[in-house]
Amino acid sequence: MAVAPQDRPIRLVVRDGDLHRSRLTVFFRLLLALPHLVWLILWWITAMLLVVVVWIVAIALGRVPSPLHRYLAAYMRYASHVRAYLLLAANPFPGFVGRPGYPVEVVIDPPARQRRLTVLFRYPLALPAFVLSVWLVLFPVPFGYVATAVPGMVALVVAVFAWAACLVLGRMPRGLNDLLVYGIGYGAQVAGYFWLLTDRYPNADPELAARSLELHPVRAVVRDGLERSRLTVLFRLLLALPHLFWLTLWGIAALGALIAAWAVALVRGQVPGSLHRFLAAYIRYRAHVTAFITVVGGPFPGFVGAAGSYPVDIEIHPPARQHRAKTLFRLLLALPAAVIAYPLGYVLLLVAVGSWIYSLVLGRAPQGLRNLGVACIRYHTQLNTYLFLLTDHYPFASPALEDRREAHALPLATPALGETF
Amino acid sequence: MLVVAALAVSAILLHPTAVPNDLSLGAVDADEIFGAELVAKAERYERFLYVDWVLAQIALLATLVLYARRGAAFTRESAAGPIGTGMLLGMLGLAIVWLVQLPFRLAAHWWDRRYGLTDLDYLTWVYDDWAVLGAEFLSICVALLIVMGLARWLGEGWWLPGVAVFVGIAALFTFVAPYLDFTTERLDDETLVAAAERYEQELGVSDIPIRVEVVSEDTDQANAYAYGFGPSRRVVLWDTILQDPFSSGEQKVVLAHELAHHSEEHLPKGLGWFVLFAVPGAWILMRATRGRGGMGMPQAVPVALVVVAVLQLASAPAANWVSRRMEAEADWKALQVTEDPASLEDVMIGLAETSLGDPDPPGWVQLLLGTHPSLEDRVAMARAWEARNGR
Repeated sequence: MAVAPQDRPIRLVVRDGDLHRSRLTVFFRLLLALPHLVWLILWWITAMLLVVVVWIVAIALGRVPSPLHRYLAAYMRYASHVRAYLLLAANPFPGFVGRPGYPVEVVIDPPARQRRLTVLFRYPLALPAFVLSVWLVLFPVPFGYVATAVPGMVALVVAVFAWAACLVLGRMPRGLNDLLVYGIGYGAQVAGYFWLLTDRYPNADPELAARSLELHPVRAVVRDGLERSRLTVLFRLLLALPHLFWLTLWGIAALGALIAAWAVALVRGQVPGSLHRFLAAYIRYRAHVTAFITVVGGPFPGFVGAAGSYPVDIEIHPPARQHRAKTLFRLLLALPAAVIAYPLGYVLLLVAVGSWIYSLVLGRAPQGLRNLGVACIRYHTQLNTYLFLLTDHYPFASPALEDRREAHALPLATPALGETF
Repeated sequence: MLVVAALAVSAILLHPTAVPNDLSLGAVDADEIFGAELVAKAERYERFLYVDWVLAQIALLATLVLYARRGAAFTRESAAGPIGTGMLLGMLGLAIVWLVQLPFRLAAHWWDRRYGLTDLDYLTWVYDDWAVLGAEFLSICVALLIVMGLARWLGEGWWLPGVAVFVGIAALFTFVAPYLDFTTERLDDETLVAAAERYEQELGVSDIPIRVEVVSEDTDQANAYAYGFGPSRRVVLWDTILQDPFSSGEQKVVLAHELAHHSEEHLPKGLGWFVLFAVPGAWILMRATRGRGGMGMPQAVPVALVVVAVLQLASAPAANWVSRRMEAEADWKALQVTEDPASLEDVMIGLAETSLGDPDPPGWVQLLLGTHPSLEDRVAMARAWEARNGR
């Protein structure tokens, strides 16, 4: 599963250790970003004119000339600064020239040779990555002002909650920040591919970007290889029919168990072990089936949701005491996480479609999409465990699959907290 | 021995029909009745489908034999237990068969379109085909859940209780299916409704709802069917049979034919025949899968698929013979209550025109595919009834 961010020609460096946010600038963030958005449009117009020339030259020479590369790289760097500022992934007001040193920084390697064929067909090739980035983060810049200003659904939803959280806490919640940073990083990769700064295809692997993983009682465990049987991929949805049928039946019983668990948890402050086991098996089974349908998991899952029975598994801690007030208002409290989970569901759908096509052709799942799928399934499962009273830990939005804070901790003399992409 | 004796007695009980044993069908000239041009066209149309069917069957059996040998390798694609894995293998077997048969079905659909028998476009056809496959997947999962569950519980003795469960399910579905129909409409042709009431009285049945299924947007072919039993009995007429070229008299004959299926208890009898076929079939299946550890093991499922396919093919002549006898009986009863052999003859001509049925198909086709007497034989029966009743 390990991937090396430093190998990527376009990567993100994050120097935002304390996640502090100024409440005042957060409150007026959209208005404060206005001059940047205007300036971004002007810059975008010149970049658009230039990219046509760059495209022709790159086809002819097999590389982008350095001055043109530098100009587009500066524009892209600036665009990512503005995105990070607008989405609250960074606190300081960015400069207007895309100078390096911003807390959320895109690092772009110098120009290298590019395969002419991929340059020629760059835009149709980029389409799948473009669609995913549209959902994750800002619309890529080549599509104009409106596109520049309108965030993708995931980023928009996360930014709205982050805005409220920053106003209350004065700091950015880590999970939301990681998700935004991941989106910005992926958007930068897609934009770099669009702007011909590299011919390396964007990689959606959250491992490249996300830095932290809170110790949450619901964790995803991946033991699955990437090999996929083309036959089971081709008929994946139909093969899942008996599972969907069974899941529906089980869901009815689980709903009854949930009501009982809620009543007991309100009185005793804890869900009884038998109900916890029953509900945990149901939630785990849901995750197994989702992984199978979306090609995130390879094999056909079992029907009982047994722990450790599926290579894309969910670990759920045993029952623990829960705050009664959180139990009482669980449905209401889960609302923000549910709103975030909604667009992530569409991301998972894109992952499924992309993985389905890729696996059908190559007989293996793309690692980046697979890991993104695991992150989405885990978030949905954390939401489900929260809703089904298996834990009172709130779902953690970071897409990281492993806790990499230790691995990325650098000496104090180095300003960077971690290179992400 | 006891089982064999019970099966033999059952077969003897189910065998008799209302068609007189001494009835001999005279020879009829298909060209004269149906018109030489129509006969030639129907033969051309059907010939292609015969070849297509034969090739499809060869491909089916070859595929299943191959799958029986190699299919067990797909167990590595499963993280489920033995029964879940068996379900996966069953579904994958159907999936492979679906893929292999796709060109043959596509060819048949193209042929139907060429002859104007269907207006269904290819996209809708593929979608429908896909939906059918989904239903088949669910069905095989239920079937394997029962068989494998029983086999794991009872060992090799699963086959007899297994048949009992399947017969129970078949009976349940036959009974419940009419209640799950939300697509048909009430018959509002007062003449036909009145005729239906009269025929019901004469046939000794009552209160059988007559429904109409609208299919004319997709096809010009005509059909009707009877389903359900006891209080759930229904007759459904395709709306195509209520239109030209079918006259009121012909529609009444069709209606009487379907009501006769109910009066002669053909659906419960069909279940009885199902038992007669299923008991030896289940026993053979049990024996054939021994080498793979029996039906309780997922590795046996690919073998089971090929065994079932072979059994279906092998039992087709007998099953079709039973079906033809029931259809002939329904025709005979329809003639008795309508006393209108000319209309029955005209219905057959109409069916040949709208469905391009071959009036006199080759013997092997009737043997393997003939669920109804040939159109020629049905005309011959109408004439035999006429001769016997002096009309």
